[in-house]
Amino acid sequence: SAAARRPWRLFGALCLLRLPRITQPLQKEEEEMAALMGQIEVEKSRYSDHEIRKLEEEERLRRRKESLYDDDDEAPGKTVIMAQDLEEKWEQKFLRFEPAPRITDADKNNIRTSLNRKLDSNLMLLVKQKIGNQELWLLPQVEWQPGETLRSTAERAMATFLGDHIQAKVLGNAPYGIYKYKFPKTIRTEDNVGAKVFFFKAFLQSSDFTQTEPKADYLWVTKNELGDYLKPEYLKKVNRFLLD
Amino acid sequence: AQSLSPESVSPRALCSFSSCSSWLPQRIPLRGNHWQSSLLTPRTALPVRAQPKKKKKVDVKREQAQKDRMKKKLKKLERAAPELIPIEDFITPLKYSDGSRVRSLPPLSPEETERRVLLLKKWCLFKQRQDEAEKKAIQTLVESQQEALKELRLESEELYQAAIRRDEGLFPFEREGPTYTPPLPGYDPPEGKCVDITKVYTQ
Repeated sequence: SAAARRPWRLFGALCLLRLPRITQPLQKEEEEMAALMGQIEVEKSRYSDHEIRKLEEEERLRRRKESLYDDDDEAPGKTVIMAQDLEEKWEQKFLRFEPAPRITDADKNNIRTSLNRKLDSNLMLLVKQKIGNQELWLLPQVEWQPGETLRSTAERAMATFLGDHIQAKVLGNAPYGIYKYKFPKTIRTEDNVGAKVFFFKAFLQSSDFTQTEPKADYLWVTKNELGDYLKPEYLKKVNRFLLD
Repeated sequence: AQSLSPESVSPRALCSFSSCSSWLPQRIPLRGNHWQSSLLTPRTALPVRAQPKKKKKVDVKREQAQKDRMKKKLKKLERAAPELIPIEDFITPLKYSDGSRVRSLPPLSPEETERRVLLLKKWCLFKQRQDEAEKKAIQTLVESQQEALKELRLESEELYQAAIRRDEGLFPFEREGPTYTPPLPGYDPPEGKCVDITKVYTQ
Protein backbone atom coordinates (compact mmCIF):
# COMPACT_ATOMS: atom_id res chain seq x y z
CA SER A 1 0.00 0.00 0.00
CA ALA A 2 1.23 3.43 -0.80
CA ALA A 3 2.47 5.39 2.19
CA ALA A 4 0.33 8.40 3.01
CA ARG A 5 1.94 11.65 2.02
CA ARG A 6 2.93 13.40 5.22
CA PRO A 7 2.42 17.15 5.23
CA TRP A 8 5.84 17.84 6.70
CA ARG A 9 9.00 18.21 4.62
CA LEU A 10 12.09 16.66 6.13
CA PHE A 11 15.51 18.28 6.31
CA GLY A 12 18.77 16.87 7.66
CA ALA A 13 21.18 19.36 9.23
CA LEU A 14 24.70 18.80 10.50
CA CYS A 15 26.28 20.54 13.45
CA LEU A 16 29.98 20.27 12.64
CA LEU A 17 32.13 20.82 15.74
CA ARG A 18 35.80 21.70 15.77
CA LEU A 19 37.01 20.36 19.09
CA PRO A 20 39.27 22.52 21.31
CA ARG A 21 43.03 22.37 20.72
CA ILE A 22 44.24 23.93 23.97
CA THR A 23 43.10 23.65 27.56
CA GLN A 24 40.70 26.19 28.98
CA PRO A 25 42.18 28.66 31.47
CA LEU A 26 41.71 27.65 35.10
CA GLN A 27 39.12 29.41 37.19
CA LYS A 28 40.06 31.15 40.41
CA GLU A 29 39.06 28.29 42.74
CA GLU A 30 40.83 25.80 40.50
CA GLU A 31 44.04 27.80 40.59
CA GLU A 32 43.97 28.17 44.36
CA MET A 33 43.32 24.48 44.77
CA ALA A 34 46.15 23.56 42.40
CA ALA A 35 48.56 25.73 44.43
CA LEU A 36 47.41 24.14 47.68
CA MET A 37 47.83 20.64 46.28
CA GLY A 38 51.36 21.49 45.18
CA GLN A 39 52.22 22.79 48.66
CA ILE A 40 50.87 19.70 50.39
CA GLU A 41 52.78 17.45 48.00
CA VAL A 42 56.04 19.26 48.81
CA GLU A 43 55.37 19.06 52.52
CA LYS A 44 54.74 15.34 52.43
CA SER A 45 57.73 14.51 50.24
CA ARG A 46 61.28 13.51 50.99
CA TYR A 47 64.45 15.06 49.64
CA SER A 48 65.53 13.90 46.21
CA ASP A 49 69.17 13.23 45.21
CA HIS A 50 69.42 16.57 43.46
CA GLU A 51 68.21 18.45 46.53
CA ILE A 52 70.59 16.63 48.84
CA ARG A 53 73.47 17.47 46.53
CA LYS A 54 72.39 21.11 46.52
CA LEU A 55 72.19 21.24 50.33
CA GLU A 56 75.61 19.65 50.75
CA GLU A 57 77.19 22.08 48.31
CA GLU A 58 75.63 25.07 50.06
CA GLU A 59 76.92 23.74 53.35
CA ARG A 60 80.40 23.38 51.89
CA LEU A 61 80.34 26.88 50.43
CA ARG A 62 79.26 28.33 53.74
CA ARG A 63 82.01 26.50 55.60
CA ARG A 64 84.56 27.68 53.09
CA LYS A 65 83.48 31.28 53.48
CA GLU A 66 83.60 31.14 57.27
CA SER A 67 86.96 29.42 57.45
CA LEU A 68 89.39 30.95 55.02
CA TYR A 69 91.16 27.80 53.78
CA ASP A 70 90.27 25.30 51.05
CA ASP A 71 88.89 21.88 51.92
CA ASP A 72 91.28 18.97 51.69
CA ASP A 73 89.19 16.91 49.34
CA GLU A 74 88.99 19.62 46.71
CA ALA A 75 92.07 19.65 44.55
CA PRO A 76 92.91 23.15 43.24
CA GLY A 77 92.21 23.68 39.56
CA LYS A 78 89.38 21.16 39.46
CA THR A 79 86.14 22.70 38.19
CA VAL A 80 83.13 21.43 40.05
CA ILE A 81 79.67 21.83 38.58
CA MET A 82 77.35 22.89 41.37
CA ALA A 83 73.73 21.91 41.47
CA GLN A 84 72.82 25.59 41.49
CA ASP A 85 74.64 26.10 38.18
CA LEU A 86 72.79 23.21 36.65
CA GLU A 87 69.47 24.69 37.74
CA GLU A 88 70.33 28.04 36.23
CA LYS A 89 71.36 26.37 33.00
CA TRP A 90 68.04 24.56 32.82
CA GLU A 91 66.15 27.76 33.52
CA GLN A 92 67.97 29.54 30.71
CA LYS A 93 67.19 26.75 28.27
CA PHE A 94 63.51 26.90 29.21
CA LEU A 95 63.33 30.65 28.74
CA ARG A 96 64.92 30.34 25.34
CA PHE A 97 62.05 28.15 24.07
CA GLU A 98 59.17 30.08 22.51
CA PRO A 99 55.89 28.17 22.44
CA ALA A 100 53.08 29.04 20.02
CA PRO A 101 50.77 31.71 21.41
CA ARG A 102 47.48 30.65 22.93
CA ILE A 103 45.68 33.71 21.59
CA THR A 104 46.18 33.69 17.84
CA ASP A 105 46.04 36.49 15.28
CA ALA A 106 42.59 35.40 14.24
CA ASP A 107 41.48 35.95 17.82
CA LYS A 108 42.86 39.44 17.94
CA ASN A 109 41.27 40.48 14.66
CA ASN A 110 38.07 38.55 15.27
CA ILE A 111 38.17 36.79 11.92
CA ARG A 112 35.14 34.57 12.29
CA THR A 113 35.73 32.54 9.15
CA SER A 114 39.05 31.18 10.39
CA LEU A 115 39.40 27.91 12.27
CA ASN A 116 42.35 29.16 14.29
CA ARG A 117 40.21 31.25 16.52
CA LYS A 118 39.19 30.43 20.11
CA LEU A 119 41.39 27.37 20.35
CA ASP A 120 40.07 26.49 23.80
CA SER A 121 36.40 26.07 22.88
CA ASN A 122 34.20 24.23 20.39
CA LEU A 123 33.58 25.95 17.06
CA MET A 124 30.46 25.30 15.00
CA LEU A 125 29.87 25.80 11.32
CA LEU A 126 27.12 28.24 10.28
CA VAL A 127 26.12 28.80 6.66
CA LYS A 128 23.97 31.43 5.05
CA GLN A 129 21.06 29.77 3.29
CA LYS A 130 18.01 30.96 1.45
CA ILE A 131 14.76 29.74 3.01
CA GLY A 132 11.68 30.92 1.21
CA ASN A 133 12.68 34.44 0.28
CA GLN A 134 14.90 35.08 3.32
CA GLU A 135 18.64 34.72 3.68
CA LEU A 136 19.26 33.18 7.06
CA TRP A 137 22.26 31.94 9.04
CA LEU A 138 21.67 28.27 9.76
CA LEU A 139 23.44 25.02 10.45
CA PRO A 140 24.00 23.51 6.99
CA GLN A 141 20.89 21.60 5.93
CA VAL A 142 19.51 19.95 2.81
CA GLU A 143 16.18 18.36 2.07
CA TRP A 144 15.76 14.66 2.64
CA GLN A 145 15.35 12.54 -0.46
CA PRO A 146 13.50 9.23 -0.35
CA GLY A 147 15.84 6.26 -0.32
CA GLU A 148 18.46 7.63 2.06
CA THR A 149 18.66 7.73 5.84
CA LEU A 150 18.64 11.04 7.66
CA ARG A 151 22.27 10.59 8.64
CA SER A 152 23.32 10.43 5.00
CA THR A 153 21.24 13.54 4.38
CA ALA A 154 23.27 15.33 7.01
CA GLU A 155 26.53 14.09 5.50
CA ARG A 156 25.35 15.28 2.10
CA ALA A 157 24.65 18.67 3.62
CA MET A 158 28.25 18.90 4.78
CA ALA A 159 29.57 17.78 1.41
CA THR A 160 27.39 20.34 -0.39
CA PHE A 161 28.78 23.24 1.56
CA LEU A 162 32.34 22.18 2.23
CA GLY A 163 33.25 19.72 -0.51
CA ASP A 164 34.09 16.05 -0.43
CA HIS A 165 37.51 16.17 1.19
CA ILE A 166 36.33 17.00 4.68
CA GLN A 167 36.49 14.14 7.16
CA ALA A 168 34.07 14.21 10.03
CA LYS A 169 32.98 11.61 12.55
CA VAL A 170 29.20 11.63 12.88
CA LEU A 171 28.19 10.63 16.38
CA GLY A 172 25.68 7.87 15.81
CA ASN A 173 22.69 7.25 13.62
CA ALA A 174 20.14 9.04 15.76
CA PRO A 175 19.31 12.76 15.49
CA TYR A 176 20.20 14.98 18.43
CA GLY A 177 17.49 17.57 18.11
CA ILE A 178 14.56 18.72 16.03
CA TYR A 179 13.25 22.07 14.93
CA LYS A 180 9.88 22.15 13.27
CA TYR A 181 8.15 25.16 11.86
CA LYS A 182 5.07 25.79 9.83
CA PHE A 183 5.29 27.62 6.55
CA PRO A 184 3.67 31.07 6.40
CA LYS A 185 0.00 30.94 5.47
CA THR A 186 0.65 32.12 1.94
CA ILE A 187 2.48 28.97 0.84
CA ARG A 188 0.86 26.52 3.22
CA THR A 189 -1.19 23.84 1.51
CA GLU A 190 -2.87 20.63 2.63
CA ASP A 191 0.16 18.59 1.71
CA ASN A 192 2.82 21.08 2.66
CA VAL A 193 2.21 22.27 6.18
CA GLY A 194 5.75 22.88 7.30
CA ALA A 195 9.19 21.47 7.71
CA LYS A 196 11.04 19.41 10.30
CA VAL A 197 14.79 19.87 10.59
CA PHE A 198 16.67 17.02 12.27
CA PHE A 199 20.06 17.91 13.70
CA PHE A 200 23.05 15.58 13.73
CA LYS A 201 26.35 16.16 15.52
CA ALA A 202 29.78 15.46 14.06
CA PHE A 203 33.37 16.08 15.11
CA LEU A 204 35.67 17.63 12.54
CA GLN A 205 38.70 15.46 11.97
CA SER A 206 40.60 16.79 9.00
CA SER A 207 42.33 20.08 9.59
CA ASP A 208 43.33 20.71 6.02
CA PHE A 209 41.09 23.31 4.46
CA THR A 210 43.21 24.42 1.52
CA GLN A 211 41.29 22.35 -0.98
CA THR A 212 37.81 23.44 0.01
CA GLU A 213 36.01 26.18 -1.79
CA PRO A 214 32.94 26.91 0.25
CA LYS A 215 29.84 27.39 -1.82
CA ALA A 216 28.26 29.97 0.44
CA ASP A 217 29.06 32.36 3.24
CA TYR A 218 30.19 30.44 6.26
CA LEU A 219 31.29 31.15 9.81
CA TRP A 220 32.86 29.24 12.64
CA VAL A 221 31.36 30.39 15.93
CA THR A 222 31.34 29.33 19.56
CA LYS A 223 28.20 28.49 21.51
CA ASN A 224 28.06 31.92 23.09
CA GLU A 225 28.24 33.68 19.75
CA LEU A 226 25.43 31.65 18.23
CA GLY A 227 22.96 34.12 19.61
CA ASP A 228 24.31 36.81 17.24
CA TYR A 229 23.27 34.85 14.18
CA LEU A 230 20.46 32.42 14.85
CA LYS A 231 16.78 33.15 15.31
CA PRO A 232 15.59 32.80 18.92
CA GLU A 233 13.36 29.71 18.45
CA TYR A 234 15.99 27.94 16.38
CA LEU A 235 18.67 28.89 18.87
CA LYS A 236 16.67 27.47 21.75
CA LYS A 237 16.42 24.10 20.07
CA VAL A 238 20.07 24.05 19.06
CA ASN A 239 21.34 25.02 22.50
CA ARG A 240 19.67 21.97 24.03
CA PHE A 241 22.04 19.50 22.43
CA LEU A 242 25.23 21.51 22.62
CA LEU A 243 27.48 20.80 25.60
CA ASP A 244 29.90 23.59 26.23
CA ALA B 1 88.75 -70.61 15.30
CA GLN B 2 89.16 -73.83 17.39
CA SER B 3 90.41 -71.86 20.42
CA LEU B 4 87.04 -70.12 20.65
CA SER B 5 84.54 -71.63 23.06
CA PRO B 6 80.89 -71.33 22.06
CA GLU B 7 79.76 -69.28 25.17
CA SER B 8 82.14 -66.46 24.54
CA VAL B 9 80.84 -65.77 21.08
CA SER B 10 77.86 -63.45 20.92
CA PRO B 11 75.02 -64.50 18.64
CA ARG B 12 75.50 -61.39 16.52
CA ALA B 13 79.13 -62.09 16.05
CA LEU B 14 78.24 -65.65 15.13
CA CYS B 15 75.76 -64.39 12.61
CA SER B 16 78.22 -62.11 10.96
CA PHE B 17 80.85 -64.82 10.96
CA SER B 18 78.62 -67.40 9.41
CA SER B 19 77.08 -65.14 6.78
CA CYS B 20 80.08 -62.99 6.15
CA SER B 21 77.65 -60.59 4.58
CA SER B 22 77.71 -56.81 4.41
CA TRP B 23 75.17 -56.60 7.28
CA LEU B 24 77.00 -55.31 10.30
CA PRO B 25 75.62 -54.80 13.83
CA GLN B 26 75.35 -51.22 15.06
CA ARG B 27 77.58 -51.63 18.03
CA ILE B 28 80.41 -53.03 16.04
CA PRO B 29 80.67 -50.67 13.11
CA LEU B 30 82.57 -51.77 10.01
CA ARG B 31 84.37 -54.46 11.89
CA GLY B 32 84.02 -57.28 9.45
CA ASN B 33 87.65 -57.67 8.51
CA HIS B 34 88.86 -56.49 11.85
CA TRP B 35 86.79 -59.14 13.57
CA GLN B 36 88.10 -61.81 11.32
CA SER B 37 91.61 -60.81 12.05
CA SER B 38 90.86 -60.79 15.74
CA LEU B 39 89.71 -64.40 15.48
CA LEU B 40 93.31 -65.33 15.47
CA THR B 41 94.09 -63.05 18.40
CA PRO B 42 93.27 -64.16 21.96
CA ARG B 43 89.77 -64.04 23.38
CA THR B 44 90.11 -60.76 25.34
CA ALA B 45 89.70 -58.66 22.19
CA LEU B 46 86.14 -59.91 21.74
CA PRO B 47 83.29 -58.05 23.51
CA VAL B 48 82.00 -59.93 26.54
CA ARG B 49 78.52 -61.24 25.95
CA ALA B 50 76.63 -59.98 28.99
CA GLN B 51 77.89 -56.40 29.19
CA PRO B 52 76.14 -54.68 26.25
CA LYS B 53 72.77 -55.97 27.44
CA LYS B 54 73.33 -54.69 30.97
CA LYS B 55 74.27 -51.29 29.66
CA LYS B 56 71.07 -50.97 27.67
CA LYS B 57 68.77 -51.92 30.55
CA VAL B 58 70.37 -49.71 33.12
CA ASP B 59 70.53 -46.76 30.74
CA VAL B 60 66.91 -47.02 29.79
CA LYS B 61 65.84 -47.37 33.42
CA ARG B 62 67.98 -44.47 34.52
CA GLU B 63 66.68 -42.25 31.73
CA GLN B 64 63.10 -43.09 32.53
CA ALA B 65 63.64 -42.37 36.21
CA GLN B 66 65.15 -39.02 35.31
CA LYS B 67 62.24 -38.15 33.07
CA ASP B 68 59.75 -39.05 35.80
CA ARG B 69 61.58 -36.87 38.30
CA MET B 70 61.50 -33.90 35.86
CA LYS B 71 57.80 -34.44 35.22
CA LYS B 72 57.08 -34.52 38.94
CA LYS B 73 58.98 -31.26 39.44
CA LEU B 74 57.11 -29.63 36.58
CA LYS B 75 53.77 -30.72 37.99
CA LYS B 76 54.67 -29.32 41.39
CA LEU B 77 55.64 -25.98 39.87
CA GLU B 78 52.47 -25.79 37.84
CA ARG B 79 50.31 -26.50 40.87
CA ALA B 80 51.93 -23.67 42.86
CA ALA B 81 49.93 -20.38 42.73
CA PRO B 82 51.33 -17.76 40.33
CA GLU B 83 53.39 -15.06 41.98
CA LEU B 84 51.80 -11.66 42.17
CA ILE B 85 53.39 -9.07 39.92
CA PRO B 86 54.76 -6.26 42.15
CA ILE B 87 53.50 -2.74 41.44
CA GLU B 88 56.62 -0.62 41.21
CA ASP B 89 54.83 2.60 42.21
CA PHE B 90 53.63 1.25 45.54
CA ILE B 91 57.02 0.06 46.76
CA THR B 92 59.06 2.95 48.17
CA PRO B 93 62.74 2.37 47.49
CA LEU B 94 64.71 1.76 50.69
CA LYS B 95 66.90 4.81 50.30
CA TYR B 96 63.96 7.13 50.96
CA SER B 97 63.09 5.65 54.34
CA ASP B 98 66.33 7.09 55.67
CA GLY B 99 66.03 9.66 58.42
CA SER B 100 68.38 12.10 56.73
CA ARG B 101 65.94 12.59 53.89
CA VAL B 102 63.16 14.10 55.94
CA ARG B 103 62.38 17.67 54.98
CA SER B 104 62.85 20.34 57.60
CA LEU B 105 60.02 22.85 57.27
CA PRO B 106 58.59 25.35 59.72
CA PRO B 107 55.32 24.18 61.28
CA LEU B 108 52.05 25.50 59.81
CA SER B 109 50.61 28.58 61.45
CA PRO B 110 46.97 28.48 62.60
CA GLU B 111 46.04 31.08 59.96
CA GLU B 112 47.44 28.81 57.29
CA THR B 113 45.46 25.80 58.48
CA GLU B 114 42.35 27.98 58.70
CA ARG B 115 42.85 29.17 55.13
CA ARG B 116 43.34 25.62 53.93
CA VAL B 117 40.19 24.34 55.55
CA LEU B 118 38.10 27.19 54.12
CA LEU B 119 39.60 26.66 50.68
CA LEU B 120 38.75 22.96 50.76
CA LYS B 121 35.16 23.80 51.65
CA LYS B 122 34.94 26.29 48.79
CA TRP B 123 36.38 23.71 46.44
CA CYS B 124 33.80 21.17 47.54
CA LEU B 125 30.98 23.60 46.73
CA PHE B 126 32.53 24.55 43.40
CA LYS B 127 32.87 20.95 42.32
CA GLN B 128 29.31 20.15 43.41
CA ARG B 129 27.91 22.99 41.30
CA GLN B 130 30.05 21.96 38.32
CA ASP B 131 28.91 18.36 38.59
CA GLU B 132 25.24 19.32 38.84
CA ALA B 133 25.51 21.59 35.81
CA GLU B 134 27.10 18.77 33.82
CA LYS B 135 24.36 16.34 34.83
CA LYS B 136 21.67 18.84 33.87
CA ALA B 137 23.29 19.42 30.48
CA ILE B 138 23.42 15.69 29.80
CA GLN B 139 19.78 15.41 30.87
CA THR B 140 18.67 18.10 28.39
CA LEU B 141 20.69 16.45 25.66
CA VAL B 142 19.00 13.12 26.23
CA GLU B 143 15.57 14.76 26.34
CA SER B 144 16.24 16.59 23.10
CA GLN B 145 17.26 13.37 21.43
CA GLN B 146 14.17 11.54 22.67
CA GLU B 147 11.95 14.30 21.34
CA ALA B 148 13.64 14.16 17.96
CA LEU B 149 13.21 10.39 17.79
CA LYS B 150 9.52 10.69 18.75
CA GLU B 151 8.90 13.17 15.93
CA LEU B 152 10.81 10.98 13.52
CA ARG B 153 8.67 8.01 14.44
CA LEU B 154 5.56 10.04 13.67
CA GLU B 155 7.04 10.80 10.29
CA SER B 156 8.18 7.42 9.05
CA GLU B 157 8.77 4.10 10.77
CA GLU B 158 11.51 3.11 8.34
CA LEU B 159 13.62 6.19 9.06
CA TYR B 160 13.08 5.67 12.77
CA GLN B 161 14.36 2.12 12.58
CA ALA B 162 17.40 3.29 10.65
CA ALA B 163 18.03 5.96 13.28
CA ILE B 164 17.92 3.68 16.32
CA ARG B 165 20.28 1.15 14.78
CA ARG B 166 23.66 0.87 16.52
CA ASP B 167 26.53 2.65 14.80
CA GLU B 168 29.32 0.10 14.53
CA GLY B 169 31.95 2.49 13.29
CA LEU B 170 31.66 4.85 16.26
CA PHE B 171 33.70 2.84 18.80
CA PRO B 172 36.61 2.52 19.45
CA PHE B 173 36.75 6.29 19.36
CA GLU B 174 40.21 7.81 19.69
CA ARG B 175 41.12 11.45 19.98
CA GLU B 176 44.18 13.38 21.14
CA GLY B 177 43.35 15.67 24.00
CA PRO B 178 44.05 19.41 24.17
CA THR B 179 47.50 20.64 25.20
CA TYR B 180 48.45 23.85 26.99
CA THR B 181 49.80 25.58 23.86
CA PRO B 182 48.86 24.85 20.24
CA PRO B 183 51.40 22.96 18.10
CA LEU B 184 54.26 25.13 16.92
CA PRO B 185 54.48 25.10 13.11
CA GLY B 186 57.93 24.18 11.83
CA TYR B 187 59.22 22.94 15.20
CA ASP B 188 62.21 20.61 14.90
CA PRO B 189 62.47 18.39 17.98
CA PRO B 190 66.03 17.56 19.14
CA GLU B 191 67.51 14.26 17.98
CA GLY B 192 67.81 11.46 20.48
CA LYS B 193 67.11 7.81 21.18
CA CYS B 194 64.58 6.73 23.75
CA VAL B 195 65.64 3.57 25.62
CA ASP B 196 62.78 1.88 27.44
CA ILE B 197 63.95 0.36 30.74
CA THR B 198 60.59 -0.66 32.19
CA LYS B 199 60.68 -4.07 33.86
CA VAL B 200 58.29 -6.58 32.33
CA TYR B 201 57.07 -9.34 34.62
CA THR B 202 55.67 -12.64 33.35
CA GLN B 203 53.70 -14.98 35.56
